[in-house]
Amino acid sequence: MKKRILACAVAVLAIAAAFGDDWSSSSYSAALKGTRLSLYGVTDTVRPILDAFESDTGIRVDHLTMKNGEILQRLKNEAESGVAIADLWFTGGADTFITAARAGLLSPYASPAAAALGKDMKDPEGRWFGTSLTLVNWVVNADLIAEKGLRMPETWDDLLQPGLRGEVSMPDPASSGTAYNVVSAILQTRGEAAGWAYLDALIKQVPFFTPRGSDPANLVVSGEAIVGINASNGDRDLEVQNPHIRLVYPKDGTGWWPQPVAIVKGTKKEAAARVFIDWILSRRGMAVIASTRKAAVVRTDVAPPEGVVDIKDVALFPTDFQANAADREAILRLWAQHLGK
Amino acid sequence: MKAAYWALVALVLYFIVAPIVGVALYGVLPSSSWGELGAMLGRSLPYLGRSLFVAAVVTVAATVVGTSGALATRRLAFPGRRLMRVLFALPLASPPFVGSLSFIMLFGRRGLITNGLLGLSVSPFGWRGVAALEVVSFGALAYLVVSSAIDRLDTAQEDAARTLGASERRVFLDVTLGSMRPEIATAAALVFLGSLADFGTPLILGGKFQTLASDLYIQITGLYDMRSAAVSGLLLLLPSAAAFACLRAAIVPGAYYATGSPIRDVAWRDHDKGVAAALVAVSALYSAFVVAQFGFIAIGAFSTHWSRDLTPTLANFREALKGDLSPFVNSAVLAFVSALAASWLGVALSYMIKRRRYPLARAVDVAATTPAAVPGILFGIGYLVVFRYPLFGAGRWYLTSLPPPVLLGTGAVVFLLCIFRYLNVGLRAGSALLDHVDPDLEDAARNLGRSEFGVLADISMPLLAPAMYGSFLKTFSTTMTTLGAIIFLILPSNKVAVQQLFQVVTGSGTGAAAALGVMLSTFTLGSLALMRGAVGLVSRLASRPAPGNAA
Repeated sequence: MKKRILACAVAVLAIAAAFGDDWSSSSYSAALKGTRLSLYGVTDTVRPILDAFESDTGIRVDHLTMKNGEILQRLKNEAESGVAIADLWFTGGADTFITAARAGLLSPYASPAAAALGKDMKDPEGRWFGTSLTLVNWVVNADLIAEKGLRMPETWDDLLQPGLRGEVSMPDPASSGTAYNVVSAILQTRGEAAGWAYLDALIKQVPFFTPRGSDPANLVVSGEAIVGINASNGDRDLEVQNPHIRLVYPKDGTGWWPQPVAIVKGTKKEAAARVFIDWILSRRGMAVIASTRKAAVVRTDVAPPEGVVDIKDVALFPTDFQANAADREAILRLWAQHLGK
Repeated sequence: MKAAYWALVALVLYFIVAPIVGVALYGVLPSSSWGELGAMLGRSLPYLGRSLFVAAVVTVAATVVGTSGALATRRLAFPGRRLMRVLFALPLASPPFVGSLSFIMLFGRRGLITNGLLGLSVSPFGWRGVAALEVVSFGALAYLVVSSAIDRLDTAQEDAARTLGASERRVFLDVTLGSMRPEIATAAALVFLGSLADFGTPLILGGKFQTLASDLYIQITGLYDMRSAAVSGLLLLLPSAAAFACLRAAIVPGAYYATGSPIRDVAWRDHDKGVAAALVAVSALYSAFVVAQFGFIAIGAFSTHWSRDLTPTLANFREALKGDLSPFVNSAVLAFVSALAASWLGVALSYMIKRRRYPLARAVDVAATTPAAVPGILFGIGYLVVFRYPLFGAGRWYLTSLPPPVLLGTGAVVFLLCIFRYLNVGLRAGSALLDHVDPDLEDAARNLGRSEFGVLADISMPLLAPAMYGSFLKTFSTTMTTLGAIIFLILPSNKVAVQQLFQVVTGSGTGAAAALGVMLSTFTLGSLALMRGAVGLVSRLASRPAPGNAA
């Protein structure tokens, strides 16, 4: 055993020396240079990460940005027709990846680099892996809080203060992963009865549930709402760009999920795709994610970058992602009933 | 000519009918019972009601705006009318979601105009906001359709009515508006269908008021529920069929022929003062709205913080240009090719349908217009589910062992989608214009021995040029600025600009979004001006001065 570890360490060091950095992949060979991979995802902010990957490996990754549902729809149809367009899928809701994995759309891979990830942060069968953390936070319009003489919200119960009636913006849990994560986390932490009692009170504060997860932040910035439930990498960009905005992480816990990465089943470039997974899960890949996306990453041996909320300062809700995905329909049906009350 | 017609019919079947039927079957087929289908339809009915309500309001308002604009800027002499023509085209060239951002900042609870100027605090969310924003964008479409036929109007008829003693008001209402029935009805129909299919505006401004189109967008992107989305999409086809029947009923065949040659920029010598004032007032109000909304976008693009800190800066443009610029080139190529092909094919098809009256003409007319009422996202899914199999989908059953030619995963499918989705604009504008063109002219050429194609190329197409130009403008702008249908088909290696914009807008950098919006609009308007200049130059070089036709 010791010998093997030693051999491994020597190999890793050799490769690290060769590339001058902390990554390695047994699938990598110089022949892969010039390969072009296609990647689906939900954000353009992955571009610098893909560029760093190209400069390390010579493998170019073209990305296409869509919504979770659109990606799922395309992957299904591309799988049925045998046309492999995407090789990789990076960023999106963990529940979308779980759904896709169950539908057999993702290719399992036992990446050695995944050993460094906690078991919450990856699929047990290796069909997807977490990379950075997405945290639920509140976007608050501080000017309006001051103007209306309200208390700056710090806990979930603060959202129920009477002055915030009609001023809390939240996406529709049926169409937004962020909002669904909040609902299920509240039910998991408070229990069924107390959880629904809280949600009933919260529903009264929200004038309408926005169709997309990105809407509440925009509404708060333009003053149409005072508090918006939002998802972020942990960066402070909104605050920096908008002097009247504060980002608040609730003291009594908040929702979170890992941003997954996966190989799409049917890819004709499996070797290059595996190199990408090995690279992105390595210390090198995670350090690039941390610095370019300004995000907290799932590896604990990579230091969080400047200007990012330290994950140790944020109270996280304990979350069961598999249960989240499994209970989704039942919870959404109940949600619709409570909404109609 | 007949062979060309049947070839076009085949294309319409493959690229319009097959995808729409395909997406319908995709939704309906897996149903286990009629009850399940009924439940899905029942769920959609309230949404349909809202769609119809808002479409009715928008149709009336946008048609009035577009018609007033066309008449005011082309029949009345007043200062600023040339500027007004540009303002009327501007909403077409602007990405819709940047427009909604600007709308919220101007007219929202904290809006610069509603709150800052008037001291109101009204929520912009709900049907009023949706209708207001749609009137702005579809008013421009109505203007385009009406003004593309306006040069063919016979002013001699107005003079005849005057000579017979009709009051100016009667001349306007009965003769002028009466003879414009084909294009007004066409504009109304296109606005109606466009409003039914619009999901972007209700999505951003609807609040609780979501329409059928925006609801099915949510079902697809949020609920991953393609089936019930496809089923509710079917519901949209019913009102479109009704609209089509109304359009036919509104036009009396053969009643609008002009005998003179086209007249441009004629100013009414005599006109009713009240009518003229009303036309100019409506156009001015619309123009003011456009100036406010788009001027505000321009201000946002050049300021440090949109609506908060107006210190001038170029940082937003640097931010917006940070990424790679090839998507702009891709967008321009896609928009140019599809606009050229769609407007040419659409107008040619209108000629074949209206003049040659080949078999199935009516059915083809309806089929080719249907995409106007199908939300982009659904049309895109139709392409996705049909063209994933080789040979336009037929390979699903016959050529299962064969690898490509499959269209999915190629760049071609994106072009085909854009061409056939926007064929309807040229088709409808061409049809409306043909109502003003006396077929005697074509018959004369035929009698003098011109071939069928010769007649089309030398007589009809030049007469139909305004319809072609209008449809090119609309298709080019729409392809540059909207995303819906092609999101399912574009390749990661071959992206388009509007997609990048969508990312910036849904992100937090609104100043950069404004900057990108300004760049996209400028680029679109610039290309159109270039196009217009090139066409003018070519036709001036090509046309030998004919005696007696100096106008």
